[in-house]
Amino acid sequence: MSELANAIADLKEDEVKQIVQDRLASGADPMSIVDECRRGMEIIGQRYKDKEYFLGELIMSGEIFKEAMAAIEPKLKAGQAGKTLAKMVLGTAKGDIHNIGKDIAATLLKAAGFEIYDLGTDVAPEAFISKLKETGAPILGISGMLTPSFESMKQTVQALEAAGLRNKVKVIIGGGIVTEMVRKYVGADAFTDDAPEGVELCRKLAGAVK
Amino acid sequence: MIEETMTPTERTRAAIKLEPCDRIPVAPLMDVMFPSRHKGMTVAEGIAHPRRGFQAIVDTFDDVGGWDAMILPGYSLPVPPYISAVMQVVIGDTRYPGKDPGISEDSSPQFIEKELLTIEDYDEMIKLGWTGFAEKNLSRFFPLDPELLLAWTKRQMERYKTEGELWKARNIPSLCGGMVMSPLMFLSTRRSLVSFTQDLYRMPDKVQAVMDAMVDDLIKFAIEAAHATGIPGVELILERGGCFYYPLKIFERFEFRYIKKMVDAFAAEGFITVMHLDQDWTLNLPYFLDLPKKMCVCELDSTTDIFKAKEILKDHMCIMGDVPASLSSIGTPAEMTAYCEKLIDQVGKGRTGFILSTGCTIPFDTKFENFQAMIDSVKNHLPA
Repeated sequence: MSELANAIADLKEDEVKQIVQDRLASGADPMSIVDECRRGMEIIGQRYKDKEYFLGELIMSGEIFKEAMAAIEPKLKAGQAGKTLAKMVLGTAKGDIHNIGKDIAATLLKAAGFEIYDLGTDVAPEAFISKLKETGAPILGISGMLTPSFESMKQTVQALEAAGLRNKVKVIIGGGIVTEMVRKYVGADAFTDDAPEGVELCRKLAGAVK
Repeated sequence: MIEETMTPTERTRAAIKLEPCDRIPVAPLMDVMFPSRHKGMTVAEGIAHPRRGFQAIVDTFDDVGGWDAMILPGYSLPVPPYISAVMQVVIGDTRYPGKDPGISEDSSPQFIEKELLTIEDYDEMIKLGWTGFAEKNLSRFFPLDPELLLAWTKRQMERYKTEGELWKARNIPSLCGGMVMSPLMFLSTRRSLVSFTQDLYRMPDKVQAVMDAMVDDLIKFAIEAAHATGIPGVELILERGGCFYYPLKIFERFEFRYIKKMVDAFAAEGFITVMHLDQDWTLNLPYFLDLPKKMCVCELDSTTDIFKAKEILKDHMCIMGDVPASLSSIGTPAEMTAYCEKLIDQVGKGRTGFILSTGCTIPFDTKFENFQAMIDSVKNHLPA
């Protein structure tokens, strides 16, 4: 494992900054630096699974990754930045203005290679549908922290059906109060109350719709 | 229907003191929102009209045939009337139904996660202490006449006492006369989760110094409130310090040492602490054995493993919880009964040390028939 991947995995913020800066200055391929950062994030995910890391470390690593990407992105050639695992539309359900869970999920999904279209909070079903049509994204993630968001999520899935998109788009719902009972009620394909598990589920969903 | 031989007060007290009960007590965490809708008002109306909102709680109590205890007596805040105490409440950005954009008349208030406190505030808190910081910075968070704020606080406190007395007259105990967050919970929600997490990793000594500078004041506010309301208990609001968020080394240094200091101080006054534990605390449960025996209630929201909590804490503290919000909101009465009976059998084993409750506050869109099934479950089913 590279020095950079290990520095990310060990949450060495200053060291990551320095290595990225040095690598860019030495003319290294920016995409290879991104790949190393992503490998570091994979180690973070494994440590989370092993209960060595918790949400706090995921947040820290996400912020370190974001900082690294901010330095690398201007150096990426056109088209390189578009090399993604899958497109995904994300937002918090209509009637719910909580953003923290969605934002953490968005950071980790980006780090895993997803191209995220984040519509923010209080997102109406028609706004989700419109963005899915515009981007052709095969995955929709809806976050919710309040019980009334279940109804908004359900309406969004119904709107997907009405728009003839249901067989082209996999739906995952997330939030501290979602359960298997909620997934069934909403008609979603997957649910999670755990951000790294959500990333894994999205990888599977991306595979399923390719 | 089980034959009752204890009053609700006796039953609840016995459960907390790990003594045998005639049946398992039930105490939902109630506010005005679900009762307001049940009685034909919007959530916004219930919040805007405290008397009508509180009456809706009482009417809901009667409609469902009564429960055994109020965790908090109503929807008022028990905050002593001075600036440093009120500032705990004033620093925050909560959006209210019918008042703020994006929050409909029939929605719950929603807390906005953003950076309200800065790193410079940390330095000032360390230098001035919480009280000095609060008094100096009031106008930044509350730009109106401070007298208005203090008058509001006094009204809240008076209402709190009145509500508690009303329940007492019905022989229904209220468990908490004070309410407070741990330093970690306060700072995380006011710095925002991401920034506070970065603080923990980037400047741990400073964060600890801030916590040291504020914990004694937080203890004082809760104790004064409990004395003033005459209700000998404190609701200690906890979420951000458990194993869902951080490893045990962070929990030990930044959360548990302060929880212990707070609970010990409350116990020294003879107050029960209801630890309101949102999110998953399963890995943290063994630490609670270091808290004073039979002086705490471990209130869980369905994300902590409640069965594990019983196994670990059964001889030490009462467990309360943990009907999932989704079950109340979109489940059926049969599903509710099945879940509650499972809790009664396993967590209520030995007919003590368990109070059936909602996982966190009862959702405002709870189906009444589901709530009825929850309340009825303890009246019809004894632990196996």
